[in-house]
Amino acid sequence: MHNVFARIFRNATPYWFLLPGLFILGTLLSVPLYKVVEYSLYNNVIIESAPTFVGLQNYTELLSDSSYYSALLNTAIFTVGSVIGHLVIGISLALLVNADIHPKARTLFRSLLILPWIFTAVVVALIWQLMLNPFGVVNYALKAIGVVQNPLDWLGDPGLAMWSLLLISTWRGYPFIMVSFLSGLQTIPDELYEAADIDGANFFHKFWHVTVPQLKPVIYGVALLDLIWTFQLFPLVWLTTGGGPGRTTEVLSTLTYRLAFVDFQFSKASTVAVTILLISAVFTLLYLFNETRRANN
Amino acid sequence: MKRNIPAIAATMLLAFASHSNAATNIEWLQWFAAEQNAEFYETLVDEFEAQNPDITVKLITQPFGKVRESIVTNRAIGVGSDVLGLNMPWTSEFLELKILEPLDKYLEQDGNGFELEKLVQAPVGKIDGNTWMLPLNAFPFAMHANMTLLKQAGFDTPPTTWAELKTMAVAISELGEGISGIGMPFSSQPPSNGPILTFLPLLYTAGGRIMDGTTPNFDNPQVVETLTFLQDLNVSGAIAPGAASRTGGVDLEEFIAGRTGFLISPSVHAAAIVSRNSELEYQLVRVPTLNTKAYRVHGWELGIAADSKHKEEAWKFVSFLMSKEVNGRLSVVSSALPGNLEALSDINNSDPIFVAQREILENDESVEELRLAPKAVASWSLMTEEIQSMLAGDQSPEEAAGRVQLRWLNLIKK
Repeated sequence: MHNVFARIFRNATPYWFLLPGLFILGTLLSVPLYKVVEYSLYNNVIIESAPTFVGLQNYTELLSDSSYYSALLNTAIFTVGSVIGHLVIGISLALLVNADIHPKARTLFRSLLILPWIFTAVVVALIWQLMLNPFGVVNYALKAIGVVQNPLDWLGDPGLAMWSLLLISTWRGYPFIMVSFLSGLQTIPDELYEAADIDGANFFHKFWHVTVPQLKPVIYGVALLDLIWTFQLFPLVWLTTGGGPGRTTEVLSTLTYRLAFVDFQFSKASTVAVTILLISAVFTLLYLFNETRRANN
Repeated sequence: MKRNIPAIAATMLLAFASHSNAATNIEWLQWFAAEQNAEFYETLVDEFEAQNPDITVKLITQPFGKVRESIVTNRAIGVGSDVLGLNMPWTSEFLELKILEPLDKYLEQDGNGFELEKLVQAPVGKIDGNTWMLPLNAFPFAMHANMTLLKQAGFDTPPTTWAELKTMAVAISELGEGISGIGMPFSSQPPSNGPILTFLPLLYTAGGRIMDGTTPNFDNPQVVETLTFLQDLNVSGAIAPGAASRTGGVDLEEFIAGRTGFLISPSVHAAAIVSRNSELEYQLVRVPTLNTKAYRVHGWELGIAADSKHKEEAWKFVSFLMSKEVNGRLSVVSSALPGNLEALSDINNSDPIFVAQREILENDESVEELRLAPKAVASWSLMTEEIQSMLAGDQSPEEAAGRVQLRWLNLIKK
């Protein structure tokens, strides 16, 4: 018996080392999660010392609130649009920087193209606000080439604000896709491309019939990850448009923040946060399912 | 020596413990030190502690945008500060949340460093029969004028009426690319307070108000008249393009850079304008009037947390900050007028900006409505959105006023 325990203890040693970290991480993740769900079942949390338990009332009220659906639609548009932009730009640039050019030039381009990724959301928001200002460099350039006559309010025009956000988000988010795709490209055997060359395939044939099938699992995986991250994105939207003008760029994350810290409606904010959690959980399960299937294959 | 070390250590521990037990620790949550000379505020704390060795003050400094949230959330988890830096528009919601301690019994005490009647009165007016905050300083909303652009447009003096403002702003806008008559910060970005920076000061010069007691009253003739004036300015080309994405910060920066003719904002911004662009020919004047010489009064306020465990000590610190000598020094450092008006006589300041502020303070009607405004901070977002829609031509001033009123009342009901 003593030997059994000794063997168990010996084999469990790595897990003992992990335990403190797992405990702290688990606490930091699970306690806020529990509290948000709890808050969503009460009224007047935080602002009253004895909030009232209301069950699912906050959820039924939310489901009849038009501002929630508006934010949900904006979130869907922003998320899908951003992910498509990230994929198109990221994959295109990955193919370009994977070209057979001078190694130093390749390194230079890869370093430059990854720069948007290293800026924080605050810096990105400030840079783009200045560039998209009516008197900013974007309007100046467009006016110089005759595309516009008068300066456009890119972030203040309801018809342009979401497009501007998508542009900013695409600019900031493509490096992750580019790097992931680039590393995947290194794993494709050259023989496949050589065989395609022999068969007379051009660039697009090779891309569509060799590159994409080989990297489909990678594309699917990073797209799902990007979907999860972009769905919850808050700083970029809040710092560029604040959800405006006229709530045309209000997404679920900014709605949550506004309800909590502008309106002090913490119960309603928690309810919105739980819906974000549930939707994100669906995406996460899809991602895990994909990864499991990849591992089994 | 070795044999004495444990004894020395024990003695030191006992001394420390006894000192810790004797001194009461209070916290002062504010944003003042973040926007100005932080060392000055630390010096004030040191001075107070020297005069009151049984009280220690911990300075908690946060950006302005975080203080309001922190007051509410810290209180919820029981870690709130004792002395609070406050903003008058927060009053109504803080009273609803029972965050503030009534100050009346402290004001009646003997030995206070100031007299209530000698303070700027806007923040001290009673609500529900009590006084809830005191004015650390005060600054009127005013208009900053770029005299260089004004002279280039053919004018010698800043406007004094709405009609003159429109004429001069339009003329300045026609000076060239990138130059605008006046900026209007109606961005939805937080704190989306454009309406209270620009719209309210103009409204008060028309004798208008947005409140009827404690009830929102946004759809009234003076509000519509002021909104119509804004729309007229916009249609005339006087307002800088991009009002719907322009924040107060950008508005100020554009003025400092010399690209805007006029800026309506707190007069305390004069310090930043002068220090950041000393070559700007600049003048501070009252907001152009329609029919009333009135100004929106603003300032930094002090209050005591209702759940503070050291209210008496907190009051001693507040009383210290409100005393004539300290308040006077605070006024000079913050480039604002003192909350304790007795300090005015001691401030030897012939600076034209200070003189202009004082002239407005002493001669014009002061107006402060947001103390009584329910859900004041959230209401600014509503005003901003409806004004955005109005300036875009999607609704009339009457419709904008009506929509703000309706949405504001619905917000209060929630």
